[in-house]
Amino acid sequence: MDIERIDDVRHRIPADARHGMKTDVRFFASDAILQHIRKDKSLEQAMNVACLPGIVGSSLAMPDIHQGYGFPIGGVAAMDWHNGVVSPGGVGYDINCGVRLVRVNLSEVEVRARLKELIDQVFRDVPCGVGGKGHFDVTEKQLNQVLERGAQWMVEQGYGGESDTMLCEERGCLREADASQVSARAKERGRPQIGTLGSGNHFLEIQFVEKIEAGDAARDYGLKEGQVVVLIHSGSRGFGHQVCTDALAEMGAAMKKYGITLPDRQLACVPIQSPEGQSYLKAMRAAANFAWANRQAMTHFLRGSFERIFGKRVHLDLMYDVCHNIAKREKYTWEGRPVDVLVHRKGATRAFPPHHPEIPAEYCAAGQPVLIPGSMGTASWVLAGCDGAMQESFGSVCHGAGRLLSRNAAKAGRDAREVQKELEARGILVRSETRDGIVEEVPEAYKDVDEVIDVVHRAGLARKVARLRPMGVIKG
Amino acid sequence: MANFELLEHTADTGFRARGETPEELFIHAAEALISVALDPSRVDAFQPRQISASGADQQELLVNWLNEVLWLIDGEKFVPARFETLWFEDGTVFSQLLGERRDDTKHPPRIVVKAATFHQLRVAETESGWEAEVYLDI
Repeated sequence: MDIERIDDVRHRIPADARHGMKTDVRFFASDAILQHIRKDKSLEQAMNVACLPGIVGSSLAMPDIHQGYGFPIGGVAAMDWHNGVVSPGGVGYDINCGVRLVRVNLSEVEVRARLKELIDQVFRDVPCGVGGKGHFDVTEKQLNQVLERGAQWMVEQGYGGESDTMLCEERGCLREADASQVSARAKERGRPQIGTLGSGNHFLEIQFVEKIEAGDAARDYGLKEGQVVVLIHSGSRGFGHQVCTDALAEMGAAMKKYGITLPDRQLACVPIQSPEGQSYLKAMRAAANFAWANRQAMTHFLRGSFERIFGKRVHLDLMYDVCHNIAKREKYTWEGRPVDVLVHRKGATRAFPPHHPEIPAEYCAAGQPVLIPGSMGTASWVLAGCDGAMQESFGSVCHGAGRLLSRNAAKAGRDAREVQKELEARGILVRSETRDGIVEEVPEAYKDVDEVIDVVHRAGLARKVARLRPMGVIKG
Repeated sequence: MANFELLEHTADTGFRARGETPEELFIHAAEALISVALDPSRVDAFQPRQISASGADQQELLVNWLNEVLWLIDGEKFVPARFETLWFEDGTVFSQLLGERRDDTKHPPRIVVKAATFHQLRVAETESGWEAEVYLDI
């Protein structure tokens, strides 16, 4: 593959590399990360994305890029709002998979003293929902309200306070969601799963702030060294999966009508302004709201767990909540002209710079908090969005460490108890509903999150604010 | 040769299924999917069901069929134990099967499968019959 090196963190595949590409591929990687990326088909997938009608700028990929289906995971593509396409594969099956960080007014030392009790309490209170139901039994009408109001619905029902929604991307609710555009199947599949964590790479971690890298932003974000935080990584569960499945089935047929041919059927897409495109976007927003309601409910259960162990003096405040599987209409100045685009972020996080109108007033000077979960038992990061992201990546950065090993390869020769003991020896307690939940997510299955973060920091897309270390992990 | 085997993929999992006929291929592909989601040896053939799926071509038909089976397991909470008959009619696949209501104690989930995908999907006639490769988003 013909890869041009632009500098030590930027690379490019020109638009003439393959027939059908409408633009080039630009990706961010160090030399070490590039060696990993070359091992799978993720760059070919980024080239396929460059073939989509109406793409504006480059087909972009972040340093945590790895092979997905259709789009690479870690891919970003902006489509012209009036003449471009929407592709459900550019959002993924887990719509609004995202991350929420909650600040706790306790220190690492205070929490470690009662960590075992705490982690067992959280494991009892926050439903993983893999082999059972969540805590909610909602009517069809209530489910429709969840789909149209997201985290705000949970707060209205008493599961949290007003400040929780103020500190979410989109305030925890994408407007123009329409529950009537969602199939009965998606509703049925999702209904018992409201407020649940899910399985796979989703987790809830009790962490502490190990190191502050940018004092100004950390102060604005309310973070200091030694402080305890909780990171929740979860999405829209079976509801989002079904919305994506339904849309792909419909779009497969509709593409013929619109005369769209593609190198990969998993990239199925339709014009944004078509009835099918608008219908998908309304259902996708409903799924995004479902995910925000889930993370809000889990925050409420989490508060209960901490109170049971530490009493009423403990306070859990939302720091921020941001999604990394989504498509959103945003406006940019691109190559000197204003553009109105639908930004697909498939495993990529929004990273708006200081003074952007979409970020909460508290964070206006620092820039939007960007939450990057690492792999189980390693580290996670808080970053702050920078101007570079607006100029180079449609306000986007990476979303995680990025997988290196398949789930089966990660499991090979590993025993869940042995992994659990190794982590315990490093001061990390793990509770999981399934045995596979632990062994498939061993730290060596992922790229080094620090190296991924280093690339986006050096590229000026986002800057390092704080490194977080886990103490307790709950997995589905 | 086995009816199916699992395939490696960095973020996901897949399988290669075989059959002497397209009908048999579809049954074995469904069995592969079920074995990823849970332990099929623990499922009893108590109740009958009939399911169907449509597609514009063979690839779409296979993906939609597998997503229909997934809906049965995840949405309707019914696990197939045995596909009694399977037939094609004008771009639609029909199957009569036996299985039982999903009980998470009896059938603990192995992996939550999000969907069967078109990613690197392959359906082909071989010297000995039919073969398909399917990747699942998990």
